[in-house]
Amino acid sequence: MATMTSGFSSMYSSDFARPDWLTAEHETGTTICAIEFDGGVVIGADSRTTTGAYIANRVTDKLTKVTDYIYCCRSGSAADTQAIADIVNYHLNFYKMEHGEEPLVKMAGHVFKDMCYNYRDSLTAGILVAGWDKREGGQVYNIPLGGMITRSPFSIGGSGSTYLYGYVDSNYRPNMSKEECLKFIANAVSLAINRDGSSGGIVRLATITKDGVERFTLTGDQIPKFYEDS
Amino acid sequence: MSILAYNGAAVIAMKGKECVAIAADRRFGIQAQTVNTDFQKIFEMGPRVYIGLPGLATDVQTVAQRLQFKLNLYELRENRRIKPKTFMSMVSNLLYERRFGPYFVEPVIAGLDPKTNEPFVASMDLIGCPMVTNDFVVSGTCSEQMYGMCESLWEPDMEPDDLFETISQALLNALDRDAVSGWGAVVYVIEKDKVTRKELKTRMD
Repeated sequence: MATMTSGFSSMYSSDFARPDWLTAEHETGTTICAIEFDGGVVIGADSRTTTGAYIANRVTDKLTKVTDYIYCCRSGSAADTQAIADIVNYHLNFYKMEHGEEPLVKMAGHVFKDMCYNYRDSLTAGILVAGWDKREGGQVYNIPLGGMITRSPFSIGGSGSTYLYGYVDSNYRPNMSKEECLKFIANAVSLAINRDGSSGGIVRLATITKDGVERFTLTGDQIPKFYEDS
Repeated sequence: MSILAYNGAAVIAMKGKECVAIAADRRFGIQAQTVNTDFQKIFEMGPRVYIGLPGLATDVQTVAQRLQFKLNLYELRENRRIKPKTFMSMVSNLLYERRFGPYFVEPVIAGLDPKTNEPFVASMDLIGCPMVTNDFVVSGTCSEQMYGMCESLWEPDMEPDDLFETISQALLNALDRDAVSGWGAVVYVIEKDKVTRKELKTRMD
């Protein structure tokens, strides 16, 4: 609304004159996706962080390392998920030093779960934990808002995931190859980016196997295209 | 969320040398979800008078329809085309009539005077306060971003082709920093002998 403001700032000015993007929390609105295959996992995410409707970061990296063989996909509050991932990274590093071996993906998942469940009233964090370990191979664990943990062959999360349930349910097949998984996730994230205002930017992908982590980025024309009106 | 940000929109109008340009995004969304990518936000109100309506989508359509009605009666009574400045006053009056229960649109007007072909741009708030400028006007959910782009890119007396490039870049880069606008864009360049409509290829995110 156009207003004639006078020189001094009244004590109430901070209440209604401050724009949304100065006060709103940074949210990774997000679309995240993770899938197991024989030999490891493939994970993917979009790259948008918003403060209200303002895009604070359009090249965010939401695929965060917690160990050399375990990554997490972050959705929800940017601050909360970064803090949790840092703390989990500390715990798992400690485990590795104590035991002299890589922690299991299940352990990483449960460390995340403990924090997300015990502080559930203070946190807004939806996390996918995915990685490879020598006991069980590739695993994906989904830890949504309340702090429960479930393992499944593929998982989706974030505000954009609501647009993907139909796609993943109809297109997922067990025992896909690594390349098929990469295509599956790239398609999924692109579809969500097209519909969800809180998701956008580029598509970040990563594969985790016994040989370690390999990262990919899809920008501009590399992002899969689907039906558009114009 | 603010009601003006419920559907999300972005509109710019700029003055050039004996021409004006008006551009808008094409998204129709409901909060974070995008429903359609061909929603019309710029309406022709006479051969050289255009209005861009960002804001609540239902009011965008209602205000456009009500204005067209008032304009038709004006043209029948006066037997001539309306001047952009007079049209601005008509819009202002329509919005202020609803002072205490307003239409949630913040219009942008661009046009050429029917007799002198003088370029004209103006914008107003949702209760009809008009603002006429000599360079550009912006309105929408990413108005801060558009102001930044326009202040940097605009210069006076641009030819129609340059004006098209400038307004397109200003709009596109502002759109890319707003989560609720974008998904396509359209630009109208209005000169005294023709109006060109172009659709821009944008990021669809």
